[in-house]
Amino acid sequence: MKAVIAQLRGRLTVLIVVTIVLALLPIMGVPRVLFLYLFLFFIYLTMANMWNLLAGYSGLIFLGPAAFIGLAGYTMTILTWLDIPYYVGIIVGAIVAALFAVLISIPVFRMKGIYFAIGTLVVPEVLRYVFTLWKPVGGPLDGLGRGYPVHGVIDVSRIEVYWLGLVVAIGSIFLMRYILRSKLGMGLAAIRDNDSTAASSGINVFNLKLYSFVIAAFVIGLAGAIFYIYQGAIEPNSAFSVRWLVTIMLATVIGGEGTEEGPIVGTIIVVLLYFLLARYAQISLIIQGVILVGIMSLAPQGIVGSIQKSRPYHYLRQLATKH
Amino acid sequence: MILLSDLATPIVMGILLGGLYAVIALGLSLVFGVVKEINIAHGDLVILGSYFGYVAMTRFGIDPILSLVIGIPILFGIGFVIQKYLLNRAFRISTDATLIIAFGISIILESTYQFIWTPMSRGLTTPYALDSLSAGPIHVPLVYLLDFIAALVVMLFLREFLKRTYLGRAIMAAAQDRKAAHLMGINTDQVYAFTLGISAAFAAIAGVFLGLTFPFTPVSGMAFLIIALGVIVLGGLGSIVGTFVGAIVFGVVQTVSGHFFGVAAQMLAAYTMVLVVLAVIPRGIFGSR
Amino acid sequence: MPEQALLKVSNIDAFHGSFQALWDVSLSVKPGEIVAIIGANGSGKSTLLDTISGFVHPAKGSIEFEGNDISKVEPFNIVKLGISQTPEGRRIFPDLTVLENLIIGAYNRKARPERAQNLQRVYQLFPILEDRKAQLAKTLSGGEQQMLALGRGLMSNPKIMLLDEMSLGLAPMMVNELYKALREIRARGITILFVEQNVRRSLTEADRAYIMEAGRVVLSGNAAELREEEKVKKAYFGA
Repeated sequence: MKAVIAQLRGRLTVLIVVTIVLALLPIMGVPRVLFLYLFLFFIYLTMANMWNLLAGYSGLIFLGPAAFIGLAGYTMTILTWLDIPYYVGIIVGAIVAALFAVLISIPVFRMKGIYFAIGTLVVPEVLRYVFTLWKPVGGPLDGLGRGYPVHGVIDVSRIEVYWLGLVVAIGSIFLMRYILRSKLGMGLAAIRDNDSTAASSGINVFNLKLYSFVIAAFVIGLAGAIFYIYQGAIEPNSAFSVRWLVTIMLATVIGGEGTEEGPIVGTIIVVLLYFLLARYAQISLIIQGVILVGIMSLAPQGIVGSIQKSRPYHYLRQLATKH
Repeated sequence: MILLSDLATPIVMGILLGGLYAVIALGLSLVFGVVKEINIAHGDLVILGSYFGYVAMTRFGIDPILSLVIGIPILFGIGFVIQKYLLNRAFRISTDATLIIAFGISIILESTYQFIWTPMSRGLTTPYALDSLSAGPIHVPLVYLLDFIAALVVMLFLREFLKRTYLGRAIMAAAQDRKAAHLMGINTDQVYAFTLGISAAFAAIAGVFLGLTFPFTPVSGMAFLIIALGVIVLGGLGSIVGTFVGAIVFGVVQTVSGHFFGVAAQMLAAYTMVLVVLAVIPRGIFGSR
Repeated sequence: MPEQALLKVSNIDAFHGSFQALWDVSLSVKPGEIVAIIGANGSGKSTLLDTISGFVHPAKGSIEFEGNDISKVEPFNIVKLGISQTPEGRRIFPDLTVLENLIIGAYNRKARPERAQNLQRVYQLFPILEDRKAQLAKTLSGGEQQMLALGRGLMSNPKIMLLDEMSLGLAPMMVNELYKALREIRARGITILFVEQNVRRSLTEADRAYIMEAGRVVLSGNAAELREEEKVKKAYFGA
């Protein structure tokens, strides 16, 4: 841990300053809209970091993040109906998501490559059906068809949820840093290059992938549950929607899979995009798809990745290391 | 008590429904066998076929099956272009890139449908769409039978095409050994583009028959993609007969589940089966690869 | 007057990724010749054939066929020009029948009109292929597969055939059969460039030979002369 912080010194200061500014913003009184988009930024950034962990570093192109989001969200919501405070609910929700990850890892990790991708695409769909049919808590349903409101949410100030989001987002950045420098990170790097060579040098491929998977599930679940506190209500079509995947994938890909800063850059762009396209909700998704295809075809390493590979960057790096 | 005659109708319906799934899955199977990629956007291409038939019917008053005369070439062209300019290139970047780009195409298609035709569910309600046939205790909708016939026709066409034309042989060669195919003078990039084109043409057919059989929405594509994948993995990748058998199995499982557990359970049963198949049978029953 | 070379490779460098496989390699083949490229595994012989066939584009130097530069031509177009490669390991299409394999050999447009005639010629050369024409190629024995590979190559109406390790893994009797067939193929006017590990055999069958080591041509010349050459004797015959 000390080593991690030592390495970060310069960047750490920047990070701390930014964090403080962001934390103070709501108190200083910002327009409602900015508030919302910043909150979304925190949530999406957290999820993008985790997706990056899976796709960019563990070689798992995971198409089912909505499963973790929905499960955690529903768990938290159901608990609030049982009068359990939301801050406990989000932790339990994250744990449920993580347990679910463990549960499905057995069949899902047997699927290789493309099968894994489609298998993970199926999972949220199945959950969506399940939650459409199953009414976990009795009593009349308020509004939104098969949706549930989150109880006790009126007492929670938006600012608190905002800070919660900020903490989780910053936490995810540190988490990524830590993981990548840890044994897990080294192991993942080996796997990313070649599954079988890694296995023959004694690395337990399955276990490492499982750890990433479970960690990602927990954190994504956490962020998802927090989102639903803000939202105030949850329903299956949005909770398990593929739009989560599109947003997260886009953010990670634009920024650069397999880079640490990628998700940050990518999420900024994606949220900016949402802001600009807010009025054109229907075309928004089309444009996202076009950007996804475009980036992957023309600049598959994303923005950060392309910069890292470019000559000026190499030159600057050489200058830096000479001192 | 379970009476066999009770089950007769669902089983027959399941077999005929399998025909529809076979047509949907054949395109996917062809592409996977030859290009070694799973086109995630395949389901959305099928739905494009459905919408095409819908427009033909509602705007121009043409019977959807008839409209295939135009629909097939158009979808062929779309598939050809997608492979030639996007996916061939993606494959050179990495397999992950292919997956993500195909996913991007899927999103573009789905949201375009949503934009043009709204999320409302549509159906190809032709005059004969509600007719049904009876034989003894068995009652089946006419369209189910049409689905089955369509499957047989498409399969026959595919088999003859692959065996008797130079392009068909080139496709099979490229599927078996890419480098050797090059050495025969085969431009594999071009062949792949044709393959996706043919796959899309099949999707056009599948789309029309799908629309005749079920209502569809902009996002229906994914559901059928998932089932199609289950079908081809179960039946054995790259095997025409295997795909057909796999499709029938899925059809029967679905209709029988519906019979016992209600309509809502049908999709759930199908999905669960897909997950089981994906986890348990990486190679399929008939597949050699 | 010296005959114009049919195939001329001049000072090529070739890379596999960042690994340099060929260093300043030159060779030439005249029409009607049988030329051998001899070397151990890793000497670059297969890369050389792949470069001629267009799978690898030379980083330096040129490749000329019938006087035209072909170093940037795509593999599927190389075939059309009349250069046919029978690759290492045969690589026949396992799930196609013998006949289908042969037919696909005539895929390129120049070869299609003469398919029927070429088929007859192949059957004449390798009668067993006609016997087994409806069998799936994967059911053939190693030697039969090699014959099929050669026959398939002939179907493309080649002017020159490149053969990569034709005798690998085959019994001596079969190898004799194959070389006999090669002589007949040459008699029909097709030039042959083959790659082999077996030095003795190569120098018996070929007119001329190039010996490669670690991506370079270390020795070349008349096959008869090379047989007598001291270096060759020592290195390869252990004299």
